[in-house]
Parts: sequence; C-alpha cells; structure tokens
Amino acid sequence: MSVSAIDTELLERAVRGLPGDFLTPLRKEAAARFAETGFPTTRHEDWRYTSLAPAIELSNLWLRESAPAEADARPSEVVRIFAADLARKIDAHWIVVANGVVDNESLARLNDQVLPGFRAVSVAGHSTARPMTGDEPMTRFNIALLRDLLHITIGAECSLDKPVGLLLIDDADSAATLSQARAIVEVAPNARAEFIEYHASLGANSHFANVVTELRLAPGAAVDYVRIQNRDSAHYQVGRTIAELGRDTTLRHAAFDLGGALVRNDLSIDIAHPGACVELYGLYLASGRQHIDNHTRVDHRVGPATSSEEYRGILSDRARCVFNGKAIVHKGADGTDARQANHNLLLSSRAEVDTKPELEIYADDVKCSHGATVGQLDKNALFYLRSRGLDREDAAKMLTRAFAATIVALSPVRNAQSHIEALIDERLQVIVGEPA
Amino acid sequence: MSMLEIRDLKARIGDTEILTGLTLTVNSGEVHAIMGPNGSGKSTLALVLAGHQDYVVTGGSVHYMGQDLLGMDPEERARIGVFLGFQYPVEIAGVNNAYLLKAALNAKRRTQGEPEVDAFDFLKLAREKMKLLDMDQALLNRGVNEGFSGGEKKRNEILQMAVLEPRLAILDETDSGLDIDALRAVAKGVNSLRDPERAIVLVTHYQRLLDYVEPDYVHVLSGGSIIRSGDKSLALQLEEKGYDWVREAVNA
Repeated sequence: MSVSAIDTELLERAVRGLPGDFLTPLRKEAAARFAETGFPTTRHEDWRYTSLAPAIELSNLWLRESAPAEADARPSEVVRIFAADLARKIDAHWIVVANGVVDNESLARLNDQVLPGFRAVSVAGHSTARPMTGDEPMTRFNIALLRDLLHITIGAECSLDKPVGLLLIDDADSAATLSQARAIVEVAPNARAEFIEYHASLGANSHFANVVTELRLAPGAAVDYVRIQNRDSAHYQVGRTIAELGRDTTLRHAAFDLGGALVRNDLSIDIAHPGACVELYGLYLASGRQHIDNHTRVDHRVGPATSSEEYRGILSDRARCVFNGKAIVHKGADGTDARQANHNLLLSSRAEVDTKPELEIYADDVKCSHGATVGQLDKNALFYLRSRGLDREDAAKMLTRAFAATIVALSPVRNAQSHIEALIDERLQVIVGEPA
Repeated sequence: MSMLEIRDLKARIGDTEILTGLTLTVNSGEVHAIMGPNGSGKSTLALVLAGHQDYVVTGGSVHYMGQDLLGMDPEERARIGVFLGFQYPVEIAGVNNAYLLKAALNAKRRTQGEPEVDAFDFLKLAREKMKLLDMDQALLNRGVNEGFSGGEKKRNEILQMAVLEPRLAILDETDSGLDIDALRAVAKGVNSLRDPERAIVLVTHYQRLLDYVEPDYVHVLSGGSIIRSGDKSLALQLEEKGYDWVREAVNA
C-alpha cells in the first residue's frame, strides 16, 4: 500500500463506528469520495513542498487500532487545566473543543452569559449546520471522521463585549491520536465580532489534527480573527480556513504559527460580492526540523474589493517553511486592489523557505502587487547594536523580535496581543539560541 | 599611561589596504581632530577602533587603558567605555529608541558592577540629556533612527553618547550634513562631555565643527597614515589652503 493510500475498509469501519446523527450520510459520502483520491502527495502542485507521509502513517495506525473507541464527552484534566490557564492569559469567551469534541459545559456557560444574539451549538446541542465539503481531500477526510462540530452565529447588528475564543486542543497523553475538528462561524448582517482560534496539543504520543474552519460573513459584517497555532513540537496539523464574504464586509485575519512538527495551513477567501475589504497577516517561527506551510488564496470574483496580505517567517537550524500566496482576479472583477508580501528571515544556512506569491489577473482595471524577500539579519544593524554594548545574541534577538513585531502590531484582536508577544518571545529565545 | 595608543596600525577591507601604518597617542582630557580628504581612511580608523567585522587588521596594535583593544568584541569595547558615533547611523525599524538606550546603559552598568537603572530613572536621565541637545522628546519612542532626519540621527548619536558617558568617544563625521542649529546642539553635547578623565576623537572633513569644539591636537590623515600633526591652527591652515598643500609639503 502506498503511503498516500488509506485502508478503505478501516475507514468505513471507523465511519460506521461514529454515533448516528444528521452527519451520518455526509460522512459516508465524504469517506467514499476520499477513498477515490486518498491523501494529497507531493505529486500535487499544491503539495509539492509538503509531504504528509508521517501524518498519513499515523492516520492508518489510528484507524487500525483506536478508531472505534468512544470519545470522551468531557475534556481530560490536563486539557481543563490548560484551558483555565489560557483563559487567564487572554480575556475572551472561551469554547473548548477537545480531540474534536465540543465541551458542552463551556458552551452552556457561554450561551447564558454572552450578549443577546450570540449562539453556539454542537451536534449534541442539535446543530444542523451543514459543513462545507469542497473538493479538497483533507476536507473530505475531515467530514468522513467528524464526530462533532461547533456552529456559532452572531446575530444581525450585534457586537460582543469581548472576543470569542475557540480552543482547539488535543490530548495525546494515553495513545497516538487523530482528531477532526470543524467550526462554522456565521456572522449576520452588520454584526461585528472578534475571534481567537487557538490550537494546542498535549501529550507524549503522536498526534495529527485535521481542522476546518468556515467563516460566513453576511453583508456589512466585520470580523477580526486571529489564529494562534501553538501545538506540541512533535505533533502534526493540517488546517483549512474558508471564508465567504458578503457585500461590504471586512475581514482582518492574522495567523501565528509557533509550534508543531509538520503544519500545513490553507486560507481561502472568496470575494463574490463587491465592497469587501480583506487584510491577512501571518507570522511563522520555525526551529529545529519544523515544517510549516502556509497556502493562501484570495478569489476576487467581483470588484471593487481590496485584499492585502503580509506574511513573515523566521527560520533557524534546519527548519523548512513554505509560503504560497495566490490572488486570482477573475474576469470582470474590475476595481480590485490586491497586494501581497512575504518576507523571511533565515538565521541558519541550513534553513529553507520556498516562497511563491502568485497573481492571476483576468480583469483590466485592477491594482495588484506582490513581492517576496528572503534574507539574513542586517550585519550593519547587528554591529550598531553591539557597538552600544549589547552582546551578539541579545542584538540578534532584538532585531529578530523587531522583524516579528511588525506583524504583531498589524494583527487584529487587541485582547490576544500581549499573550502573542509573550509566546513569540519564548519561541525567539529558542530560535536565536540555535546554531547558525 | 595614555588612554589610546595606536601603533603602526594596518587594516584592509576586502583586498584594499586602507590603513597603512597609523600611529596616534591620545591622553585623558584631550580632544583630537582627525582631518583628511575623502578616502584617506578616517572612517576606517573609526570603525576599526569600534571593531567592525568587515575590516581586517593586518598589522600594528591598539591599546586602550593598557588593554589590547583589537582582541575584543565590539560589545566589550563599548562596555569598557569606547563609543563610536556613526557617520551613517543605522535605521532599525521595530526596535524602540528608548529600549535600546536603556539596554545599552544597563549592559555597561552590569560590566562596571553597578545596579541596573529602572525605567523611571532612565527616562529622567534621557529627558535631561535630550533637553541639553534640544531634541524632540518624541524621538525616544520611535524606532531607532527610523524616519529620522539627518540632523535627528546625528543628535541621537550624541544623545547615546551623553547617556552612556564613554571614556573615549570617537565621532565619525558627526558634523556632516548638519545645519547650523544642529551643529551647535551637537557641539554643546560634545563639550558637555569634556572632562579630564575623558578623551574625544573627532573625525571630520571640515574645520566647521572645530569652531565650536576646540581641539587640542589636529592630525592630517592621508593615504592611510597620519602625515602631519599640529594644534588647532593646522585646521585653519587646511581650511585656507586645502589638503593638497599639506600633501605637497610632506612630499617636498
């Protein structure tokens, strides 16, 4: 069996093993379609630089040995401790999704407490939100084994007193685990909301999380969204965020990738109505042999609309990162303004980044720009700092932090800012200290 | 013991020999001006003394307070009191000016076994020095030299010097590109540091700064070595007759 393949029988058995609910027919269909393609491999253009081999191996192992087991309805003790600690660090309305299962206790607390207009339900709470299938193998895989989903709606004209936090956490303490998580966020007309999507994983065994987030913004909605990926340094993640933007919507999205051994994120924004304004920011910090791949895609189907994007990466040791930012300006999308930038700082000669900003333009009246840089720390700046008495490491840390700070400063969701800064500082401590 | 003792210093960048055997002695309390035409090696001398990695010392020695300066990292030199005011201060976006200044001051204080200054005392000190230099206080909270005008950058160098209180200050063309007000402010900063325990080396192309900061000695650097030394009247002669005059006089 090739490594990209999945044992269909085992997959079907696992699907059958999930409780019967409104997702059942969707799971079966998704499993059948997934079985046709299997996992993406490096032969696919979009996956050229990222091999899922270890995650596939883990998935097959899990299907063989653990899949039929019942999931815990309540999060484990370590997860609850982590969640409580995070809630102290970032002031938000937190919802916990542990190993793909929504913690209904955290939901219940929230529905009573938050402003009118806020609603969050899981499958246990009789959600009937239909998850998007798409034609991506990993999204089908997500549905096929989806145990639960979280459906959040923000009512028309609403604005919340503080951000909604989604803690997507996985505990691989007792065994190697595979988890699927799905969040569907619907923001009604003219509502404003802030979200924090925090990915974490714990435990000594291997883990692979496959996460899909759907954002649906109704006309006039404004969403600030920050995704913080801070998984265990031995764990794998594939994540996809799909955003559909209505007329005159605003989406500011920032993605921070700090942890994980093998991480692939896809962010896909669909602009099918005029007046949308999109800002995307990203920062990835990779050390050791970490592999972090960010693919973003903005489809400008109509104009006028603007999208601007800046991702930055800091790599040390043998880290490998990928940035692929695609903006497609479809025929007739006149009045589009699309900008993209990707900047990388390589602190080691063995680190590697593959960066590819892509523009495809089929309309006439557009403003588009893109650019990518890969560089090292500025020698003159280093000397300048050292000539003021800072030792080499402190000077390097200061310059590296400054490089990252640009993205933190642009990132939305104020409540998350200081914690993000602390996490970055902690990571930079490791990254700058690694051999050049 | 002299403060700075440079003996037959030779240095190159890439394959180009720039300093060809430079000898200079600077004692505590003295102000030296090093003048010379473009390309004579003035900035190279300043950068070699501060420890810039692009310059390779191929011969000679430099002693500071009796210690071998050339064997030290740039940060060690700074912490024992050597300061270079850059001709082209580097812009560092994202590093707060006050943050750097405080980190620099505390690095030096740690080396000297003194307690670190806290934020309150530091700001008081920095504000006081900024006032002396007629500097906009807002510059303290900007990125290091980020978007500063030419004059603001040079004042910022002098501010760092005033806060760090080095024993040996080497100012590389600190006067270039300054208008008269900025020049006066910079001179005021330099003069405020004049002290029997300190020495100042002014590297300059023109004699303009020397109207405000009176040097004890003037040296002419040409072709990588000092070809003539004198008192401040030498600077005036140079201004009048040009560098060719001294080169011809030496060759004759």
